[in-house]
Amino acid sequence: MVELARAAWPEPGDTELPRLAGFTVSSFNPLVAETADRCLTRWHGAAPLGAVGRTALVLVSSSGDVGTARAIAGAVADGRRVPPLLFFQSNPNAVLGHLAARWLLTGPVLALGSGGEPVGLAEAELLLSGGEADLVLLVAAEQATADGESDHATAVLLAPAH
Amino acid sequence: MTAVPVLVTGLAVRSGTFAPVTRFDVSNRQAVVAATQPGDPDLAGQLAEVLTEVGVQGSPVLLALHGDERARPITAGLAARFGVDPRVYTGACVAASTAVADAAALIAAGRAERLVVAAGYLVEPDTFAVFDAGRALSRSGVLRPFSRGRDGLLLGDAVVALALEAGPAAGRSALARITGWGRAGDGYHVCRPDPSGAGLARAIRAALDRAGVGAAQVGWLNANGTGSPIGDAAEAAALALAFGEQLAELPVSSTKSLHGHALEASALLELAVTIDVLAEGKVPVNAGWLGPDEQCRLNVVVDAPRTLAAPHLLTVNSAFGGANTALLVGAP
Repeated sequence: MVELARAAWPEPGDTELPRLAGFTVSSFNPLVAETADRCLTRWHGAAPLGAVGRTALVLVSSSGDVGTARAIAGAVADGRRVPPLLFFQSNPNAVLGHLAARWLLTGPVLALGSGGEPVGLAEAELLLSGGEADLVLLVAAEQATADGESDHATAVLLAPAH
Repeated sequence: MTAVPVLVTGLAVRSGTFAPVTRFDVSNRQAVVAATQPGDPDLAGQLAEVLTEVGVQGSPVLLALHGDERARPITAGLAARFGVDPRVYTGACVAASTAVADAAALIAAGRAERLVVAAGYLVEPDTFAVFDAGRALSRSGVLRPFSRGRDGLLLGDAVVALALEAGPAAGRSALARITGWGRAGDGYHVCRPDPSGAGLARAIRAALDRAGVGAAQVGWLNANGTGSPIGDAAEAAALALAFGEQLAELPVSSTKSLHGHALEASALLELAVTIDVLAEGKVPVNAGWLGPDEQCRLNVVVDAPRTLAAPHLLTVNSAFGGANTALLVGAP
């Protein structure tokens, strides 16, 4: 595989994640979207692209979307109304759908919950070598789950070596 | 290089039956029915049971689970018990079929001899509440895939493990062969399916092409069929794109109408049912049928089981994010 572009959150000068329309409560989805957008923009220029072949989306996160999960659990435990918007972001595929629609990406869509970037790279290699995708955008994102931690993510756009 | 055959050599399943939910309080919910097992089973314990039944034997484990904080102690416990750190798949309703596709790809490429794929979801209050809030659950209490009057899905328990091994089958005890797999994205929306069905159609064609199987050789399709008004219509459009004129001859059922929607585990339960259908030679009915819907022009199996008339079976799944998968199953 060859690395076409790379991005991260935070990068020097970053302070606050931009809001992501349609998503609420949690920083997880803005974290994934901003890091992915940076990476894709560095290779392709600004979205939308039109057809660029089959780009797979692979998200790896051990934390998952802690913010959304805790918001749902808190509302249920307290007997409060669960905000309907949380339904749409209750799994990690949602933000991948946002990216796929924004960038017109039609490759496989995968979400993994363990192993970080190394497992994601192995998955990307499997998809590329098996001819299931032309490019892979791999995002590894971890949301802060305790005081003293901070959200962080990397994104890398990968192509076959040949 | 010729691909190595991918055999299913072990299978263990736990699933539920439809009834009013008693496992937790649903008095504040619009929907009240799910397909549950008796009592309040423990997900980690049931996963350990099904993994023991198929035998981990030091094989890598690919595990589909809802990706929240409750998953970590489960995976840590399984790792300690079986000595294998599972690779976890969290991609909603295609999590388990994605794991199967990865396992099949690894075996077919000669990179693994044996893998175990497992998945688990037990109906619990948080997901029930957020799906109810999102108006995704059937308020009539009946899951009616592709039918007139369908009004949403019903959740269901499923804990499943499946062993996959490199063939050939000669002299081996195998239940089925995974002959093809395909996956593709819609590139359309955060959570709504592309109404054209193009993404799922590409996943289906990829699975058929990989196996070298024509549309006429598919004897039954276990559909995603969640009972969602827009989801089932998009799936019907996808099947029309993938099968063309052959679609009229293809028997279609969604077995979610019998066992509910087990989210991250749903695709593995549906693959297990599909393997059973292959063994029995009988195609199950699509329950909950009230009558045809113009948006779902399919050959739905409605009155009684049918005899399987062609040797390949296809099971398909779609998820939020426009993720689509297709798995093709044949005799070993």
